[in-house]
Amino acid sequence: MKDELLELKTRALEELKSVTENPQLEEWRKRYLGRRGHLTLLLKRLPELSKGERPPIGKLANEAKEELSREFQSKLDSLSAREEDESFLDVTLPGRRTPRGHWHPITQTTEQICAIFSRLGFAVVEGPEVELDYYNFEALNMPKDHPARDMQDTFYISDNVVLRTHTSPMQIRVMEKQLPPVSIVAPGKVYRPDSDISHTPMFHQVEGLLVDKGVSFGDLKGTLTTFVHQMFDPDTKLRFRPGFFPFTEPSAEVDIQCVICKGEGCRTCSYTGWLEILGSGMVDPEVFKIVGYDPEDISGFAFGMGVERIAMLKSGVDDIRLFFENDIRFLRQF
Amino acid sequence: MRVGLNWLKEFVDIHQTPAEVAEVLTMAGLEVEGLERKGQNLSDVTVSRILDIKPHPRADRLSICQLATGRQEVSVVCGALNISKGDLVPLALPGTRLPDGTPIKESRIRGEVSHGMLLAEDEMGLTDDHSGIMILPDDLTPGQSLSEAMDLEDWVLEVTLTPNRIDCASVLGIAREIAALTNKTTTMPEVHIEESTAPIEDLASVTVLDTHGCPRYTAGLVDQVKIGPSPFWMRYRLHMSGIRAINNVVDITNYVLMELGQPLHAFDYHRLAGRKIVVKRAENGQAFTTLDGQLRELDDQTLMICDGERAVALAGIMGGLNSEITPDSTTVLVESAYFDPIMIRRASKRLSLSTEASYRFERGIDIGGVDRALRRSLMLIAQLAGGSIAKGIIDCYPGPWSAPRIMLRVERANEVLGTNIGTREIIHHLSSLGMTVTELDQSHLEVRPPSFRVDITREADLIEEVARLIGYDNIPVTLPAIRSTEEDTPELALRDRIKALLVGMGFLEIVTYSFISPQSAEILGVQGHSHLRSFVRLRNPLSRDQSVMRTSLIPGLVSTARLNSLRGQNDMRIFEWGKIYLKGDGELPREKQVLTALISGMVSSQEWYRMPREVDFFDIKGIAEDILDVLGIEEPEFKRNGPKEGLDPDEYAGIFYSASEIGSIGKVSRNTMEGFGLQRDAYLLELDIEALSPFVKSVREFKPLAKFPSVTRDISIVVNRSIETATLLDIVKGMGKELIESVNIFDVYQGKQIGKEEKALAIRIDYRSRQRTLTDEEVNRIHEGIIEEIRRRIGGRLREGPRNGTP
Repeated sequence: MKDELLELKTRALEELKSVTENPQLEEWRKRYLGRRGHLTLLLKRLPELSKGERPPIGKLANEAKEELSREFQSKLDSLSAREEDESFLDVTLPGRRTPRGHWHPITQTTEQICAIFSRLGFAVVEGPEVELDYYNFEALNMPKDHPARDMQDTFYISDNVVLRTHTSPMQIRVMEKQLPPVSIVAPGKVYRPDSDISHTPMFHQVEGLLVDKGVSFGDLKGTLTTFVHQMFDPDTKLRFRPGFFPFTEPSAEVDIQCVICKGEGCRTCSYTGWLEILGSGMVDPEVFKIVGYDPEDISGFAFGMGVERIAMLKSGVDDIRLFFENDIRFLRQF
Repeated sequence: MRVGLNWLKEFVDIHQTPAEVAEVLTMAGLEVEGLERKGQNLSDVTVSRILDIKPHPRADRLSICQLATGRQEVSVVCGALNISKGDLVPLALPGTRLPDGTPIKESRIRGEVSHGMLLAEDEMGLTDDHSGIMILPDDLTPGQSLSEAMDLEDWVLEVTLTPNRIDCASVLGIAREIAALTNKTTTMPEVHIEESTAPIEDLASVTVLDTHGCPRYTAGLVDQVKIGPSPFWMRYRLHMSGIRAINNVVDITNYVLMELGQPLHAFDYHRLAGRKIVVKRAENGQAFTTLDGQLRELDDQTLMICDGERAVALAGIMGGLNSEITPDSTTVLVESAYFDPIMIRRASKRLSLSTEASYRFERGIDIGGVDRALRRSLMLIAQLAGGSIAKGIIDCYPGPWSAPRIMLRVERANEVLGTNIGTREIIHHLSSLGMTVTELDQSHLEVRPPSFRVDITREADLIEEVARLIGYDNIPVTLPAIRSTEEDTPELALRDRIKALLVGMGFLEIVTYSFISPQSAEILGVQGHSHLRSFVRLRNPLSRDQSVMRTSLIPGLVSTARLNSLRGQNDMRIFEWGKIYLKGDGELPREKQVLTALISGMVSSQEWYRMPREVDFFDIKGIAEDILDVLGIEEPEFKRNGPKEGLDPDEYAGIFYSASEIGSIGKVSRNTMEGFGLQRDAYLLELDIEALSPFVKSVREFKPLAKFPSVTRDISIVVNRSIETATLLDIVKGMGKELIESVNIFDVYQGKQIGKEEKALAIRIDYRSRQRTLTDEEVNRIHEGIIEEIRRRIGGRLREGPRNGTP
């Protein structure tokens, strides 16, 4: 009986090796381990043995049953695993994602602007936001009683200290510190007491300044045209028209063709087909005198732009306050 | 400034369409922001004559008018009282639509059929007059279209003026620009005066005591005037310019103001004591009631117009109630003057009173045109209000203006503009603007601007004018050769690095306002002397909640967390990089760069492959460690060194490196959460960028890769719960010295298997020598030494169990 048992086991294991499908495996199980299977029947014959033979054979038989059961289980596992591999991989289940962060849209736009000017050779510098009246107004050719001060409502800290209303004080701070040539852009926060759908009391600007021998208004046009074409679209039309800033002369406003209607006229551009995006001009000789440069020797141009405005035009955000509310559904869109 | 196109056409020939005019002006720096059509939709309104008026049989206040429209006779029910038989009136027949869109239908009013409607001026959008039906001039013919008969079709240009171009704050000024830009000349308005024989000197006198404040004062007089409403054409134009009609004399002063840019004031001559005008400074504390009925307190910097006894007007700003024109006035003294811009500006600012007059005076009006405007107004008064003009005018003008002589170098102009414009062309352009140009030689011009161009004082101003007239679009585009000398501000690279890292870790960058509420100091639990409380205060904040500059970014982050939480978004990782503003000894505060991050909610959402987990202290600590690791700040110390603003006193740590505190981490304190209305737990990280930047490694030093194998040993040590992990690690490192490559805590156990006051720390130690392969015995010796030292120094023992010391 022992030989019979061993032979049965060997045969069962041998057959199991050639099993490749689940139904085959089930047949195999019935054939050997089922209620009327070979091994089961063999075990039922144990009582026929003598008392002395019974324990060792019994043990052997149990071991054989365990082994076959184990092998059956592992075959079953491998078959179902293979089945899963081959036909049940659900590629549409979402992948294991890493949470994604986002730069604030204002930062993104600022970086984009600065990167363009960096490539043109401008250095990026920053300066104080709480600023002396001198830098914010006076040195920019706006003495205390100048009507141009009305153009910018101002937050005051004291008689001599304000929250800067524009990034232009950086022009003075940079020129005071170094001799020409100068080529900088200065991004940063600026403040004006205003709050509605298109104004927030804090917003961002990028200032630019180029001073060297022989810099001309044509250079200003060329530099800003390059900028607009890189920032928007190489086909964007732009126009320069006279404007007024106390610290530049001639001064120029830069309009681009409306990005919404492509110049056809729409609400965004007040049906003019144009959008104002930049203020600029040749540095006024008075400003050069104030910082100790000789206006006969050098010339330069300066420009400034609102970051929110450009971000809004590019992204279609229609309420400037959204930038500072920081709803994460808003931030995740950029 | 709003101006009607037909008015402009009186001064200059305009053949262009309104849109073309707007374009020409805009491209010359006078931005036309709006173009509005006027008098449209009135071609269907018919001039009709009232044949008869009968009372309405069933309504006391209504009447039935019989009208001739030229083609037919109709009857219309009307409620107005100002009409009489024979009047010409505008009639809207059924089917007509009014400018505001109202359709006119045949209707039955109290049983009587009304075949249309008689119209008041405001109903046709012409003026804001609703005192009665518009009565038309008698020389019109019934049946004419109203808009043709009255020449109503017009356009309003809304021009935005820059502060330097005050000369354009008038019809004349804009007409001059159009003329210069389109190669035309301007026609000056008609001034034709029939004077009476009474010389003005016998009737009134003017004394200017402050000739600095008032360099020129002119006055004229019209007697026997009849105050009444102005004619329609004048009211229509004023309405288009946004000026309310009052009476003929006042309307004329406003009309001339709009037309020539010269503010005028009309006094009731009989209310001027002593029949004289004295121009002098007010006294400190003097009280004066202006035309608007406001009692105002003055000081000795304010220029006043007085009569023989008292003040009668705030010079250049507003007249007084005590001398204004009333319906009974019969004699009018008109003032036309030039006042010092700075004095007027200061007074206007001080009194918070800005008017059409002060707006112009403070920017500088045409001192040469003062008398012309006076004469124009006298003529109009005589024409429209009757009366006779006194002989002559008074003109106090002790130091007549003379034009500055400005040198323009043609070469310089071309250098600045990047152009090659010829001398002739420059002369042509400047002359077209009314400048007198003398050619000194081929390339030097002497230019004298006209008196109305107060903005032209220097060569640069002339260069701008040349550029404007040739057109900015005609200046060639060039690119400068940029010789870079500066470097970027060094902190910028560090900022970008840290921000990029945080974004990579799934953080959203936020930007909040730099101003906060002063109360936030209390909420954060700032101690009395802290720098966080010495706020930079705004003098004129928009609200108390935004009245001080922030001394911490925490309020902004916590408020943002709250806002999002209220909108159902509880899981967040947000950070802000920005400045805080610390009041110091100097005039300007110290502006300091700070990074603050906040995490709250679930660190990971529930997914099919993982369970969700709420953030805790070790999440924020890990973020701090990651950032510092990237910056090359190795093994910063985390320790508790006293409470931190805004952080829970039990769950926080300061971050130290080389004896400097470079930041802190912790849970948002209960007080702060309540103060800002935050419901969910949140954890904060603050890094003081100034403090840590000296330690940032910008250059990494290479270490040769290890050549010999490492040996790993795990131990589980049971220690008292109050023992800090750092102490244990110090012992390990101290004993193993350079043979220890790394130490890692891979399990922490507290529970039933060990004592209540105990915790078990499972530690994996990697041993490695740079010189040789370590033997088992060597490692065992060190390892046992470590265990012994732990036992000796902090009473730790090996934990029994499968992890016990076996690799």
